[in-house]
Amino acid sequence: MGEAQKGLLSVIEKLKGSTEQEVRIVLLGLDNAGKTTLLKSLASEDVNTITPTQGFNIKSVASHGMKLNVWDIGGQRKIRPFWKKYLENTDLLIYVIDSADKKRFEETGLELSELIDEENLKGVPVLIFANKQDLATASPASEIAVGLNLHTYRDREWQIQACSAVSGEGVQDGMNWICNNIVNKKK
Amino acid sequence: MAEDDSEWVIESIVGYLGSPEWVIPVTDFMENKCTVFDDEDENKLSYTEIHQQYKKLVEKLLENYMQEVGINEQQFLDACTSPFAKSKSLQSFFQPVLATDDFQMFRSLMVQKNMELQLQALRVIKERNGALPECLTDGVDVMTELQQQEMKILEEVLKKSKEEYDEEMSKRLLLEEDVASTSMGCSDRPEAEQREAQNTTSAHGQQSSTAKAKGEGNGDNSSSGHQTPLVNGNTATENNLVNSSPIRKEKKTAAPGGEDQKSAAKNCSSSKPTADCGSNSVESRLLPAVRAPVKSSEPSVSSSPHTKEQSSSTSQSAAEVWLEEAHREAGFSKPYTELSVSQQEQLQQRAAYLRQQRDKLQALKKEQQKTRQTTTPEEEPTPAPTANPTEMSAEERKKLQKRKHLADKLKEEVIKK
Repeated sequence: MGEAQKGLLSVIEKLKGSTEQEVRIVLLGLDNAGKTTLLKSLASEDVNTITPTQGFNIKSVASHGMKLNVWDIGGQRKIRPFWKKYLENTDLLIYVIDSADKKRFEETGLELSELIDEENLKGVPVLIFANKQDLATASPASEIAVGLNLHTYRDREWQIQACSAVSGEGVQDGMNWICNNIVNKKK
Repeated sequence: MAEDDSEWVIESIVGYLGSPEWVIPVTDFMENKCTVFDDEDENKLSYTEIHQQYKKLVEKLLENYMQEVGINEQQFLDACTSPFAKSKSLQSFFQPVLATDDFQMFRSLMVQKNMELQLQALRVIKERNGALPECLTDGVDVMTELQQQEMKILEEVLKKSKEEYDEEMSKRLLLEEDVASTSMGCSDRPEAEQREAQNTTSAHGQQSSTAKAKGEGNGDNSSSGHQTPLVNGNTATENNLVNSSPIRKEKKTAAPGGEDQKSAAKNCSSSKPTADCGSNSVESRLLPAVRAPVKSSEPSVSSSPHTKEQSSSTSQSAAEVWLEEAHREAGFSKPYTELSVSQQEQLQQRAAYLRQQRDKLQALKKEQQKTRQTTTPEEEPTPAPTANPTEMSAEERKKLQKRKHLADKLKEEVIKK
């Protein structure tokens, strides 16, 4: 990619000239982790009619005086290779985990570590939602954090937040962390 | 100084964004790529790829232009952020530029373009054929309107039946009152009632018959209202279905089976189709069942002579053939709500047809761009196909065959995916 190309696109970017601060957030995780449910819950939409995402969804949420553009990309194995295409210019990564799906903890850990190594996500803060806490079989967030070796992340801000996208519990806490973090970072 | 600059820079940029050098490639791109953009909430992965391509195109165009005119990025930015550029009249010019950075905006532009093309295609079909084939009017987009119409019909029917009931009741009252005195009245009344009933049926055409069926609690009629407003007599004749079946078979075998499809597209002169609508619609219901064997046996043997015959035949029979085709395609529309395999197939056919029309439009546009006509591209494609729809040259026949082939291919692709 040439320099000039980047330059012109960034010029166009400035043309929008909205007064609001815009934040690009990418929402990833394995299939059936609850990404779209979380997205809809963030946008205060109905979460009862969600089907597996074949492509991607975008919602813009206003929060703390910022405009959060959240990109939710399907998590099925065949779609995961496409994740890379959505990481450019990302301000924050939200990674969603099905806390009750113990069999796939390893798989989800692998996917996350691959993302962390992505050039486009270098230094990008990551929020991990330990979703589905409403299920009795859900593992606690602290346990998942250990399993994912989160404490070894030294190059970025991270946070793990227990939540239930269906009930909405914990979601707002996560969003608060995001907003505080983005504000700190952009200042 | 920058202020002074921006004035002419912005004017020049706006001029460029309105010039063919910009408009043609950008419009071309959109028209070529917009088919996959639908109005679904969820985005397809392919949108991103297309957006990337679009970014590259716009970048290349703008870069070339800026080089040519000799302005740098800073001047460009200054100009575009100046208050002058923010005026509403100019905002629309900048939309395609801003869409490079704003996926949502890009998406909505593409969805809109897709819709425009579809409407255009429908218009062309309409102008060529005089009316839309039923399969193209039964979509979701006209659903609400149809439902409204259905409701209206239902209301009218309820009103009518109430009137009839009231009348009957009053008559009965009358009858009871002078039951002993007049023997004549007694025998007259049923007849009168019958006549009255007949009058209503004929007066209200299919509406009242739909209604009657509904009134009697025939649930299967519930979707027939969708067709009623679109094709005359379709529902009205539903009740006669059983009687007409032998006739239908005769006609069908006499008809040039496999050629229907081609001639449907070709032969329909815009004037006649409604002529035998009534009789055809009676038959149409049976088409799906009867047609299949005829189609498979005939086309290979008799396709070319039939084509010739048909192209020279009267427009009336052409219209008839066309209607048969249209109705055949629409045969599924009655139980439209329950999707069966055949219906899905029909829908795919419909999609292929639309796509085919779109491709044709594009081809036309390209030709016209070559000839450097200055009128707007939207207006152009329509006159061309309507110019001589009845006159079937061999070339046109070829084209149609090609298109059909293309449509089949497209269908295949769609199914594979």
